[in-house]
Amino acid sequence: MSAHAHPRPVGGRLLAFPMLPLLAIFGVAALVMAYRFVFGVGAVSNMTDGFTWGIWEPVNVIVFTGIGAGAFGVGILCYLLNQGKYHGLVRPAVLVGAICYTLGGSSIMVALGRYWNAIVLPIVPWWNLSSVLLEVAICVMAYICVLWIEVLPAVLDGAATSRWPRWQAFGRRWGPWLERRMPYIISLAIVLPTMHQSSLGGLLLLAETKVHPLWHTALLPTLFLVSCLTMGYGAVVVLVNVLRLGWNVQADQKLLANMSKVSAGLLFLYALLRVGDLAMNGKLGLVGADFFSLVFLVEMALFLVPAVMFLMPSVHRSRGKLFAAALLALAAGSIYRIDAYITVYRPGPGWDYFPSLGELTVTVGMAAIGMVVFILVSRLFPVVAVEGAREHSTVVGGAMKAAAGR
Amino acid sequence: MGISRRDLLKGAAVAGAAVAVVPDASARDKKEVHPEAVGMLFDSTLCVGCRACQSACKEANHLPPDAVQAANGGVYDAPVDLNATTKNVIKALPVGDGVQFMKQQCMHCVDPSCVSACMLGALHKEGEGTRAIAGEKKGSGIVLWDKYTCVGCRYCQIACAFNVPKFEWHEAFASIVKCELCSHRRDPKAKGALAVANPACCEVCPREAVIYGRRSELLAEAKRRVAADPRHYNPHVYGEKEGGGTQVLYLAAAGTTFEQLGLPALGPESAAHFSESVSHAPYVHGFTPIALYAGMAWVIRRNKRKEAIEREKEEGR
Repeated sequence: MSAHAHPRPVGGRLLAFPMLPLLAIFGVAALVMAYRFVFGVGAVSNMTDGFTWGIWEPVNVIVFTGIGAGAFGVGILCYLLNQGKYHGLVRPAVLVGAICYTLGGSSIMVALGRYWNAIVLPIVPWWNLSSVLLEVAICVMAYICVLWIEVLPAVLDGAATSRWPRWQAFGRRWGPWLERRMPYIISLAIVLPTMHQSSLGGLLLLAETKVHPLWHTALLPTLFLVSCLTMGYGAVVVLVNVLRLGWNVQADQKLLANMSKVSAGLLFLYALLRVGDLAMNGKLGLVGADFFSLVFLVEMALFLVPAVMFLMPSVHRSRGKLFAAALLALAAGSIYRIDAYITVYRPGPGWDYFPSLGELTVTVGMAAIGMVVFILVSRLFPVVAVEGAREHSTVVGGAMKAAAGR
Repeated sequence: MGISRRDLLKGAAVAGAAVAVVPDASARDKKEVHPEAVGMLFDSTLCVGCRACQSACKEANHLPPDAVQAANGGVYDAPVDLNATTKNVIKALPVGDGVQFMKQQCMHCVDPSCVSACMLGALHKEGEGTRAIAGEKKGSGIVLWDKYTCVGCRYCQIACAFNVPKFEWHEAFASIVKCELCSHRRDPKAKGALAVANPACCEVCPREAVIYGRRSELLAEAKRRVAADPRHYNPHVYGEKEGGGTQVLYLAAAGTTFEQLGLPALGPESAAHFSESVSHAPYVHGFTPIALYAGMAWVIRRNKRKEAIEREKEEGR
């Protein structure tokens, strides 16, 4: 721990580049969403009764939450397996998780045809306990709350060292209070994603005539669970490297390389489960010279290439190579999810789909506002540790240690 | 640190209560046809494609026309598929040298995927939803839609192997549209199946190509027709077992397959049974999440405490 700088607010001008372009993109997306609420989902999307979820669920929810699963993955390593060295990754990963899940949840509200009825979702006696989507909805809503609670320690730490006495007293009082209760929150933050990330695959179990047999299997929940972890770890490596380039945030290459060995194991596990399942069900013969086989092979390659790279010492030494491998791992899970929901999803003859400009705008706009929130929170509160700011960070760190020790 | 074992158990109990509502765990039972269940029998060898049923359906359900403008300026109500203004459609499908007429509407499955999928039981078997709805009686097996609990998530559209539920894409306040077997046209004073529902399509069909009644009687009738004229019919009755059984049954001509009529090839297990068995198994009646939570809370708390002790030592040095 002592070799690491402690997190501190990045500071700087809140509207510094790239805030304005990001806000502008979100502004356009907001207009598209407003248009949707007046003229219907069909007015801005290419969604049809065949491809009824377009990209808003498969990408905004299923891929975004996969990216946000870094919080889940780092949480498992750091707290459950007691690998304290990953502590520095927790705050950025949790913030990204909170943002990604919130974006997923908000996208759903735009996509829902009868969003006003969502108000009755908390009426427990009306719950259809057979519905996989209900499990996802309730579990994701609960997890969004849990993630923002997990963001709070950073905010309260920031408060504890603030110049304003009231805010400082607030942070000093509630920071340690929350700290003592964190184990119960963190455990929820591991149980909930285990449940809903597998359910995101489980959603497709019902569509047995529509999802191509190379993808449709009873193992869908397991494959989605494993792939969210591989995506999450990949996303953390990508994030830390981007932050290093942007803000000179500390990026401990050895630590990231260590974590990538875990990723490698999970990527291999995914490939083993996927191919083993196909072999056990006698489906390997389906791999031939057609479009679906090509998609399948590209997918497998996307999982296996980063898996091998993550084990190579040369990759461990090189920031660039590790970054590339992490990007591939992130892409692998994303493509798998998009494939299962869109590419190899065949509702019947005559249905075809490619997202409309409106749909893409909303997806990109959501990503943009997510980046805005990340930048704002990191500028204002101690989320990331910046290199070369030792002196200042020691002061903050000292206060934090004192707060945690109390 | 001031957290006793009692607190730990308390925390686990609270979280347990939160996750105990998670789906019940058993690999669930097969759903059987209710003896009183009603449905329809469509005999494609009798249909001449007059589309009287299409018009009657629109009238009975107050659905606007699916207007198609022809080159000569005429406007026709000519839906080409089920859609948000069409709950029942007749299609002319090329089979061999000729054309076969096919009627499409909700199949009212014995174990419907849409009902399994629906979060708040908006799509539900009559009288078997999660919300008590006045006037609904259990046993008809009709799949009804409840506008008060549908959030418009459209998962039913993904779940349905027959692509039946349709969505109003161009409405700000959209609905899910599908055949509800004209249960609103029931006559409480009538005897037998007409007291349950009265599908307009069956009422108007001039050739009795589609008839309404108890499913058990319709199945017997279908088998009787096949037995009486085996050279005329495909010997199979579609819907008796497909996907766990449907309450709308189909007969095809000899030499015509049901896939040619646009019906998916389904095994005897319903998708709902498969999905729920797979999804529920790991939960073991909700025990797994609670045990997982309690176990993890214990381990994480211990780890955190160890870490705090180490840190204090380090600082003391």
